[in-house]
Amino acid sequence: MAAHAATGAKTATNDVSHKRRKGPGALATVYLVIYNVVMTAGWLVIAVGLVRSYLAKGSYHGLYYSIEKPLKFFQTGAVLEVGIVPSSVVLTGFQVMSRVFLTWAVTHSVREVQNEDSVLLFVVAWTITEIIRYSFYTFSLLNHLPYLIKWARYTLFIVLYPMGVTGELLTIYSALPYVQKTGLYSITLPNKYNFSFDYHTFLILTMISYIPLFPQLYFHMMRQRKKVLGHLEEHSKNE
Amino acid sequence: IKHLLRNYTGQTVVFFEVEILDAKTKDKLCFLDKVEPNATIGEIKSITLNMNLIQNIPPERCGCPAVTSCRLCLSTDPQWYPARQSIRLDPKGKSLKDEDVLQQLPVGTTATFYFRDLGAQISWVTVFLTEYTGPLIIYLLFYFRVPFIYAPKYDFTTSKHWVVHLACMCHSFHYVKRLLETLFVHRFSHGTMPLRNIFKNCTYYWGFAAWMAYYINHPLYTPPMYGEQQVTIALMIFLFCQIGNFSIHIALRNLRPPGSKTRKIPYPTKNPFTWVFLLVSCPNYTYELGSWLGFTMMTQCLPVAFFTFVGFVQMTVWAKGKHRSYLKEFRDYPTLRSPILPFIL
Repeated sequence: MAAHAATGAKTATNDVSHKRRKGPGALATVYLVIYNVVMTAGWLVIAVGLVRSYLAKGSYHGLYYSIEKPLKFFQTGAVLEVGIVPSSVVLTGFQVMSRVFLTWAVTHSVREVQNEDSVLLFVVAWTITEIIRYSFYTFSLLNHLPYLIKWARYTLFIVLYPMGVTGELLTIYSALPYVQKTGLYSITLPNKYNFSFDYHTFLILTMISYIPLFPQLYFHMMRQRKKVLGHLEEHSKNE
Repeated sequence: IKHLLRNYTGQTVVFFEVEILDAKTKDKLCFLDKVEPNATIGEIKSITLNMNLIQNIPPERCGCPAVTSCRLCLSTDPQWYPARQSIRLDPKGKSLKDEDVLQQLPVGTTATFYFRDLGAQISWVTVFLTEYTGPLIIYLLFYFRVPFIYAPKYDFTTSKHWVVHLACMCHSFHYVKRLLETLFVHRFSHGTMPLRNIFKNCTYYWGFAAWMAYYINHPLYTPPMYGEQQVTIALMIFLFCQIGNFSIHIALRNLRPPGSKTRKIPYPTKNPFTWVFLLVSCPNYTYELGSWLGFTMMTQCLPVAFFTFVGFVQMTVWAKGKHRSYLKEFRDYPTLRSPILPFIL
């Protein structure tokens, strides 16, 4: 859910102060460049996989299976970037956690939802976002950021973010009946630890939490966009 | 500019000029052009601040005895009560204390202070009373199985397990003890804390109390695995630590004369429960942890274990901070002591 917002969040301010702030050391830079290149490549693999699968099948149903493994691998791998990437630790950590939750605790765990179109919706949103985001980081580290990438990062979220959120919410919603029926990840009383957990209720609470969180993150991205891309309008006014 | 004038005792006194700037915007908020050198920060704060600039206010309107004339002073506005003012030497530095005296600060005769609004404040006593009364009442609501918590057939019934009754007594005793200590024992260094803390703290205490009480008083509650033996030992631990915790609070109170804010190194007293001061800086937290471990053992309830763990983490943070400030303030601080757990943490 925090897909697009977190990515823009603090990096915009870092872009502006980028030249003033001391960059990472040489070794760290090499590590970061390799990491970001690998991640860009990984999400490109997912993108290509989706396209090929669509062309082969002739429809967009059930494309999840064709990219299931790389999706799990690269989305989980993002855990490594918490605290490393220019965005704030809290924001990045939260986004990665929510993505990993959706990948493993919902889509992987509840087989019945894997055929849903909503899964494709968020996978496509994530894929496009991540390809742009990781190439953004890569080019920034190499001090050769094409304007197109910067523009894409701070503009495409306007569509991709709501698209991803919709896909995620619909997926969780479609998982609910199966979770309730099977009692997945749930613990009931009585037991010797005097504890209970209802995963069904937990998922509903998760869905509700999108209501306060989504607008905040979305409008934060909007503000970042004005800050980073705003100067464009001033230039065209002056000409 | 030195103002060499004779004050009322006929002595020559160097008056200070004090300017107060906003820590964020660096706007000039207040300029006091004749301040007695022995004026305290607290007195300067009592010239309440307001954003409307009114020039040449006569000194009587400022309400501060140390200021003999006021130029750009601001009219009284109860919004900026002293408790929410932070006056500091550096915009990003630490707040000065109310007791600090002007002439003892590292300032020239024209002192520049920075002002920061700490936001709405609430007294510590109020916060403590609110955050402790909640769990007391909430637990009892669950104990008496008030309607809408459990299935209707259990409304106003009581548990058949005697450990549940014991747990209720212990939990209630604990919070009554805390309330009484807040009213009669503790001597607070700070008068106030930010208002938003009360919401944060109450959510924590009240939320956990409800969560624990729900399971302990549940009709499907399972008593401890090792039965009476386990509960008895747990009760002993709980009572021992309650007495210990109380002893430490009394010892700490006796370190400080009434109404003062002095700080001294705590030492073991005649009370054996205070001998743990030999090994630990904050034994009140050590005993508190012990009490909750006892309660966890008594109820064999996972949410209680979580509460104990979270509390332990928070108390460790506080203990380490306190330990560090003891070391900084007292050169002769005993080296054998650990913050919260002897030799370990």
